Amino acid sequence: MRFYFWLAYRLLFSRQILFGGSAPFSFLGLILGVAALVASMAVMSGYEETLKNAMTDVTGDMQVVRRGKLVDEWSQFSAKLKQIEPRIQAMARFGYAEAVIARKGQVSGVLFQGVELADLNKVLRIQHRVKAGGELKLDADRIAIGQGLAKKFDVKVGEKIYVVVPLATPFDSSGFRRQSKEFLVSAIMDFGKNDWNDRLVLGDLKALQMLTEIGNRYTGAFIKLNNRDESASASLNLLEKLGSGFSVMDWNDVNRNLFEAVKIERAVIFFVVLIIVIVAAFNISSTLYVFIRQKYSDIAILKTLGLSPAKIKQVFLGQGLIVGASGVLLGILLGYILCLGFMFLQNYYSLISGAVYKIDRIDVQIRFLDILVISFSTIFICLLATLSPAVRGSKLEVIEGLKNG
Amino acid sequence: MDNQSQNLLTVQNLFKNYQTGASDLPVLKGLSFEIKQGEAVCLLGSSGAGKSTLLQILGTLDRPSSGEVLYRGQNLFELDDESLAEFRNQKMGFVFQFHHLIQELTAIENVMLPALIAKEERESAYQKAMSWLQFMGLSERYDHYPHQLSGGELQRVAIARALIKNPEVLFADEPTGNLDSENSRRVQELFFELKNKLGLTLIIVTHDLQFANLFTRVFKVKDGRFA
Repeated sequence: MRFYFWLAYRLLFSRQILFGGSAPFSFLGLILGVAALVASMAVMSGYEETLKNAMTDVTGDMQVVRRGKLVDEWSQFSAKLKQIEPRIQAMARFGYAEAVIARKGQVSGVLFQGVELADLNKVLRIQHRVKAGGELKLDADRIAIGQGLAKKFDVKVGEKIYVVVPLATPFDSSGFRRQSKEFLVSAIMDFGKNDWNDRLVLGDLKALQMLTEIGNRYTGAFIKLNNRDESASASLNLLEKLGSGFSVMDWNDVNRNLFEAVKIERAVIFFVVLIIVIVAAFNISSTLYVFIRQKYSDIAILKTLGLSPAKIKQVFLGQGLIVGASGVLLGILLGYILCLGFMFLQNYYSLISGAVYKIDRIDVQIRFLDILVISFSTIFICLLATLSPAVRGSKLEVIEGLKNG
Repeated sequence: MDNQSQNLLTVQNLFKNYQTGASDLPVLKGLSFEIKQGEAVCLLGSSGAGKSTLLQILGTLDRPSSGEVLYRGQNLFELDDESLAEFRNQKMGFVFQFHHLIQELTAIENVMLPALIAKEERESAYQKAMSWLQFMGLSERYDHYPHQLSGGELQRVAIARALIKNPEVLFADEPTGNLDSENSRRVQELFFELKNKLGLTLIIVTHDLQFANLFTRVFKVKDGRFA
């Protein structure tokens, strides 16, 4: 087998094929096709992963919320959750309230989320989402806000902002009274998703409980699992055991349609971009046809020396394999450079519209499985494209080849 | 032992027709003969007489329209493509008017090819090829590509390639047809030196009468038959 590869390699790198006709352009087409596949799959995977990370960083692998009522007691409830679902690694309770923030005559509706930071750090990767303000600190007077809100209100770390909460009056269901407090903005956050950056305010649970006058009660719990990919089965398990009084959502539920759309788009984009590879491979096939015509004499002499038609076919298929494998290697390299370029340009230009795609930055991700599928598809297509010229070469009559020499 | 197996090659009632449009063009018209091991046979004739076609059929490079070619009693054309290719590799060597060396390979790589096709170790193939190149006086030129060699050198490399597997029969089709008189004479001498040294059976096509005179057996081919 080594000999056939050696012969295929030596015959392939002839001056006729390297510098003649369309061969270099066909090969370049193959490299570009593979690079486009690598880059597009990396962007799609990156989008999915970035969005998934944003979900789990900010809302945990799962959330359990009591429907219509607040939860009273934490230690018993958390023990119950852990007993139902042993895959739970950590939990943190939270409460939230619809609120309004106000500053210098501007107001905006927000979701004020109260958390216990010590517990929260065990469940969410919230610390690395701090954009300004250093280590995240939340207490009775300090809150963190999304970067969209900070931009809208032109507020910086260390500045103050009012949080106003409407509370229902006990005797008049149509009326409400307001409860407000001035907080110091201790951190500006990038929550990952644009709508969260524009609407989320993170504060201490006790501050929220005081502001909304709910005592020691809370809304639900963020949950971290040992493996976030098991969240679908874990949430189903919790839902079954907790009963209809609770709502359980995993990170996938929050944007289920979006994640499913991404999966479908990945497949569609793969096949669309694969067409470039197919076109390039068949250009290589036509180049090989011409090459075989030019090599009639060599094929004839190889047969004379004892190379059987089946072995001649192997030599030309070996050429397909060499072309495919080098196209894959160079294409992956170019694709990687394209990904680096994309990441670099994201720092200076807004390439992704947050309003359309929910996130405004993608950490491109080259997945091993994607590379494996791209490599196998490309090499398979190249082998398929060289099969016909290879069969033609193997069927050549020796006499005809010697006359052509 | 019967008569057929004593002969190296036995040809029986050999016909070869080429299809030209709707009609058949007969090239060989019922040839029968035997060749013994170690014989030097010359096929002599003018262009189009059928001598090259005969050589190609004897060398299993082409199949006859009818008739048989027996090699030590075995009908060669009963073999499948794979076995025939292996047989050619082991038993036969070929030299043509044009050297037919592969341009992308060096002289030594060209010579090594039959041994590599026979799955010999690369190192052993290299050693054998080098000793044949030395024998041909080309040891200094082993790493030269065909375009860097002269006509005589190319033909000597081609002869080395034909001999690396120690064949029993060496076929040559107008081996001196493309050489000047000096190189031509050297190659002619080389063939007979090899025949005497290795006990080779030589079957050579030529229309050079001077060369033909060196052979013990000469078949004059005319219009597809022996004259």
